[in-house]
Amino acid sequence: MSYGYAGKIARVNLSTKEVTTIETARYEEFGGGYGMGAAIFWDLAVAPGEWDLKDAFDPRNVLPIMVGPLAGTGVPGAGRTSVCGISPETFPTCEFWRTNFGGRFGTMMKLAGWDGVVVEGKADQPVWINIINDQVKIESAADLWGRDTWETQGRIANMVGGRVRFGEEWMQLGDTYTTGIPQIVCIGPVGEARSRLAALITGSGVSGRIGGFGAVFGAKNLKAVSVLGSGTVKMADAKALLDARIWQMTGGGLVTGSFAPASAGSGSCHPCLRADRRRNVYHAGETMCVDQHWLANPEEQSLRGAQSAQAASEAELASQALMKYGASGWSAHFLGLFISDIPGAPDFFNKKVPVETGIGWYIRYLYRIGELGPGKRIDSAPLPMEQWGELSFRLAFLDAISKRVGIGDALAEGCMRAAQRWGRLEQDLESGALRFPAWGATGHWTLPSAEWAYNYLLGAGDPSWHGLVTAVGKPRGKTTEEALIELAKKMVPYENDIFMFNYAWKGEEAWKTGLYSPHKAKEVAWSRHYATFWNESMAFCEMFLPNLETISPEIEMKYYTAVTGKKDTFADTMRIGQKTWTLERAIRVMHGRDRKAEVFAPFMYRPGASGMTFWGGVPIYENGKWRHDEAPDMYLDKQGVEDFKTHYYQLEGWDKENGWPTRRTLESYGLKRVADIMAERGKLGS
Amino acid sequence: MAESEKSVTQGKVPRRKFLVGGGAALAAGAFAAQIPGSAAQPAAAKASYPSSTGYIVYDSRLCWGCQSCMFNCSVAHYGESNPSLSRIQIIRDAPSFTKYPLDVVMAPCRQCVTPLCVQNCPTGAAHVDTEHGNVRVIDEGKCIGCKRCLQMCPQNPRRTVWNPYKKKSTKCDLCLDTPFWSREGGPGGEPACVTGCPAKALKLVRETPPQEDVAGYDVNLVPPRPKMPSGKTPTPAAKQPAPKS
Repeated sequence: MSYGYAGKIARVNLSTKEVTTIETARYEEFGGGYGMGAAIFWDLAVAPGEWDLKDAFDPRNVLPIMVGPLAGTGVPGAGRTSVCGISPETFPTCEFWRTNFGGRFGTMMKLAGWDGVVVEGKADQPVWINIINDQVKIESAADLWGRDTWETQGRIANMVGGRVRFGEEWMQLGDTYTTGIPQIVCIGPVGEARSRLAALITGSGVSGRIGGFGAVFGAKNLKAVSVLGSGTVKMADAKALLDARIWQMTGGGLVTGSFAPASAGSGSCHPCLRADRRRNVYHAGETMCVDQHWLANPEEQSLRGAQSAQAASEAELASQALMKYGASGWSAHFLGLFISDIPGAPDFFNKKVPVETGIGWYIRYLYRIGELGPGKRIDSAPLPMEQWGELSFRLAFLDAISKRVGIGDALAEGCMRAAQRWGRLEQDLESGALRFPAWGATGHWTLPSAEWAYNYLLGAGDPSWHGLVTAVGKPRGKTTEEALIELAKKMVPYENDIFMFNYAWKGEEAWKTGLYSPHKAKEVAWSRHYATFWNESMAFCEMFLPNLETISPEIEMKYYTAVTGKKDTFADTMRIGQKTWTLERAIRVMHGRDRKAEVFAPFMYRPGASGMTFWGGVPIYENGKWRHDEAPDMYLDKQGVEDFKTHYYQLEGWDKENGWPTRRTLESYGLKRVADIMAERGKLGS
Repeated sequence: MAESEKSVTQGKVPRRKFLVGGGAALAAGAFAAQIPGSAAQPAAAKASYPSSTGYIVYDSRLCWGCQSCMFNCSVAHYGESNPSLSRIQIIRDAPSFTKYPLDVVMAPCRQCVTPLCVQNCPTGAAHVDTEHGNVRVIDEGKCIGCKRCLQMCPQNPRRTVWNPYKKKSTKCDLCLDTPFWSREGGPGGEPACVTGCPAKALKLVRETPPQEDVAGYDVNLVPPRPKMPSGKTPTPAAKQPAPKS
């Protein structure tokens, strides 16, 4: 076992009430965090073959809640916690998917001596999991069920701490002491209602908001996981770690976040060099821009602009409500914050396309066209539709969902399933009113960031990964070509192919070097392999790293080597990322994924598909020249996407006919056991 | 007037009033007298000590609550990460959800003018290091693990730290003894917590802060905005790229 790891993973079966231990060393080949989580999911949920993997609420759904080897060491931005499993959010099928969250939970998990906790089964009564250093107990949540996420955390903290006055006293844990407060991830009433909009909440405003995993907690009768630790994380080279931190702080290239240093009221995760969180608004909340989409009254104000005191107050209250109810700011949001002029956008967007839409937007659309409202075919009761966008509406919205009362029962199922229930799925997908690029999963923009769109399709929803968006932006002080040549050097193991950054989307060049070419397949593969290893498994916040314009991947390697002591090269780490991505693919294939299923929603193939850009847009190579273009007119070609898939599957060593990994590919990663099971069940590529 | 005294934030509400200074000394002395053997303490009779020439002050409104300082402290001293061994403690009040600015408690050692940890140490392990700027330190070689310094520290939470692995007490030494820190510590040096603070919420000063209450150490560290030639204060320029969505 290398440095950085705690060495053990707790395995908690809520059905049998058994708590056992998994040796971390068994999964070290996957790095940590999500990589280990995916491998554990394969071993516990897929390999036994006792479950068809279709129902996210089945007690056989396994939730690995994992941290990486860098967590708890002081490496900045690397304390995130990964959760994976079958997601209730995706549509039409519940896909294998993952989320992660920051805050302090992951760090505390390591300090308690665990690399993660794996939750299986379903409790017969509401419970919470209480981890204090080596002790893991299943506790009754009878007094917590029904309570909001803040109240839940406060009560658990008091139960764990007893009479300790947090902030004033040291708490004794065996021979050790800590001033730490239990870190708790929990669900609110929305999760208890098994709403597919449910998030996992930790602290006042940190959430794992992708995938609806809060509803899986609810289905398992699991209210919360609390962890308190006072232990040690060992590292290979402590001096090198501290040197790397200082180098990153002073050597340039550090993007310190939305709030500059020495700015009162900023906050951050544990421990970080970016200040993206806030202490002084949203009731000590820690909100990010995605939650602001929920907060802002989109038709009257911009959150980044001047706000009236009343609007600010209402935004804070709306934020509190969102977090207390435990809803995903992503899935429940009303309109994207950024709106772009897009040629060909549908009339109902007035040619201005929101970055993303959610269920709030969708019900307003149905209200405006007269389909939804009091006494209408889709009865809006108990929602006060005339107050849409106001705080009162949003509170009623959350309440209706958490109680599944009236229209709330359909809303709790998310946009796609609600549309299906109302008989509007096909027409609203066709018109683009349901603006979800693939898998019915809400999220960020896609085009013109084509790698983002492809990752959306190849995964099970929004990749939420910005790593190349800034890097391919318009450079300062150099030409586009010069900047891309520098960037291409970092794309190990696909380095020095400048055309992987070509976003040409029409004409011959799109197939030759652009969006539908083998070059683009390399960019998509690189982004997925990097994100899988560095952001999901080493658990670096993707707002923090990569920083490809400057210090990446050097800084990642400095931290990784200092903590683990491993001799891996950057190419080795990318290979581990690719291995985990291939295992993830294998899980999807066992679930039913194939080439035919990987198609975008209709609007992606029509004018109006494009959206927001930053930093001068994307680079496009046409007629022998590079230029930057915001590409508002970009949309995808159906055959082009099919051609891209062929290139991509081949690059990954998957069968180009069905997108299934081949035995040769799996065995090259040491995954013979996976290949054997896939072959046995007729799912192996050839 | 000391720099730190000048910069005390106006209108800041201390999180809690701490019992410090002479009153605390009396109270702690009374407590010490009840401990068997404390009357024989050689250091207890000492009335005064030379002041430290270095102090860590902080701005609890600037702090991000990231606890980088705690990780840096334990890593610099022990080569391992363990916030419970850190000689500076930052308590972020989530999940208690106390409102800003009371949601963060910053608890570095104050290098007290009247160091009760030193005064009450029965072996002289806790002492004033006159060779290194009068920093109040604990010599682990002399510590017998009686925990008296833990009991005597008048701060809440206490600033003396128990090392359960060595069964000895420790405290902030301003990074005089940091085998895993590449830079020089001490009163004129670069303590790992201060240098490693991304929020610039910690500062090493040479002058003795006012000892009366917490405000002497919890000071305004916000750098003044540059003045335009016109005398107007400019709106801060966006130093960062546009925010990621």
